[in-house]
Amino acid sequence: MNDLAHSHAFPAGQVAVAHAGSQAKALPAKIETRNLRFYYGDTLALKGITLALGDRKVTAFIGPSGCGKSTLLRVLNRIYDLYPNQRADGEVLLDGRNILNRSEDLNLLRARVGMVFQKPTPFPMSIHENIAFGIRLYERLSKAEMDGRVEEALRRAALWSEVKDKLNASGLSLSGGQQQRLCIARTVAVKPEVILLDEPASALDPISTSKIEELIDELKRDYTIVIVTHNMQQAARVSDQTAFMYLGELIEFGDTEQIFTAPRDKRTQDYITGRFG
Amino acid sequence: MASYSRRRTTNIVALGLAGFATFIGLFFLAAILATLIVYGGSAITPRIFIQNTPPPGSDGGLLNAIFGSVAMTLIAVVVATPIGILAGTYLAEYSRGSKLGELAKFINDILLSAPSIIIGLFIYTVMVVPFGHFSAWAGAASLGLIALPVINRTTQDMLGLVPNALREAAAALGTPRWKTMTHVIYRAAGSGILTGVLLAVARVSGETAPLLFTALNNQFWSTDLSRPIANLPVVIFQFAMSPYQDWQRLAWGGALIITAAILILNIVARLLSSSIGTSK
Repeated sequence: MNDLAHSHAFPAGQVAVAHAGSQAKALPAKIETRNLRFYYGDTLALKGITLALGDRKVTAFIGPSGCGKSTLLRVLNRIYDLYPNQRADGEVLLDGRNILNRSEDLNLLRARVGMVFQKPTPFPMSIHENIAFGIRLYERLSKAEMDGRVEEALRRAALWSEVKDKLNASGLSLSGGQQQRLCIARTVAVKPEVILLDEPASALDPISTSKIEELIDELKRDYTIVIVTHNMQQAARVSDQTAFMYLGELIEFGDTEQIFTAPRDKRTQDYITGRFG
Repeated sequence: MASYSRRRTTNIVALGLAGFATFIGLFFLAAILATLIVYGGSAITPRIFIQNTPPPGSDGGLLNAIFGSVAMTLIAVVVATPIGILAGTYLAEYSRGSKLGELAKFINDILLSAPSIIIGLFIYTVMVVPFGHFSAWAGAASLGLIALPVINRTTQDMLGLVPNALREAAAALGTPRWKTMTHVIYRAAGSGILTGVLLAVARVSGETAPLLFTALNNQFWSTDLSRPIANLPVVIFQFAMSPYQDWQRLAWGGALIITAAILILNIVARLLSSSIGTSK
């Protein structure tokens, strides 16, 4: 299993987390945003976000609906670039390199920064093909090697035992929870460095949800993980660091334990105790 | 209680009117089909498929007309399908928000509802007059022009039904856009687009007006596409108007053949498009 862990192209630098209200503590940052602003047309949705995400840590973005947490996530792999009227300014550094540069190769960026969406999005093809499709974008493998990689990815996503006898069935024939794990397997199969999860369990039942959470725990040994969630218990369970956002601003960012036990900002406290949101 | 009984009455009246309207629509459809089967059924013999159109007063079939119709429809659809799908793909996926795209969509919708006789006249002017004679090529061109906007529009609609989440999911793996289209989006919209093509076939196979100006007709067996060619709609038109009983009988038979072919195409299209829903 550990052979999935791989060396990064750039050494992760020591970056101090320098945000008011968070513990100023040295962390090896994988992704760092500096004064990041985001616009939907003329609407400013992120009002200057500065934060650093630790390498091989799970970071949770929490906050009420419309606070910008999904928007922030969608900047990290520039998926917003599909839509002509959305733009970002400021800096987003992945291993120290600004990915907001026009010259950034988006396909290569997304190979390094994978994403799993709120609703499961299997491709209209077989389970095997769903995984092989992504691998084939980057590698030419023999059939035996490909079968091995597909199995490895499905095992990683704890889906192998459920689908090993029907790899040629349509990905759409699986249940919602299985589809979501298929999407995680598909993302893991291309060996990214960072995995972005946009409310990955919000459309799932409690059992599927706990499977996904176990999976996140398992994956964080090898990947930097960022998860957006509406569920505060989930954030507390799975994450190392938590960022609380409100109205497009980063209110508080720090270790999950500190955010949930001793929040510094009154708004954070009100939100995690359920007084609004 | 008074308002409840009034609601009940309103409901009964509305339901009655809707049911009556449905009955009228279905009645005429059934009447047309019944007439076709009664008059055309007796003309459907093996001979109709193996003999050519006869001179008045002798036995014959519709082989040359069936061949001409199939040949022209096939050429029209084979040419219009790739153009229509590519244009529809551009308009649905690549031109979002651009002025050119909006204009092209608008013009396509006008073309979609243009009277087919206008399209026949257009092809007559650009293909028949310069070459000096009617031809199967001109007939195929006019049918293709009618099929093109249908295929274009269906492609746009079907691609529009594919959720953006699927495009994002493919992009999130680092899939180049063209590969997202060919490997993911076309696969998701495939049966819908195919349905559009079949509906376009159904639409053009019954067209008469444009063929009068382009393919005209041919009493004899001909496979020369640069010459006038027999085809079912024009043969039906000519034979039905004639005073000869055996011609009139053949016209009924031809009408039944076209109707049955269109019905089968529509059923196949229905089955295909409903399989989109069930495969999810």
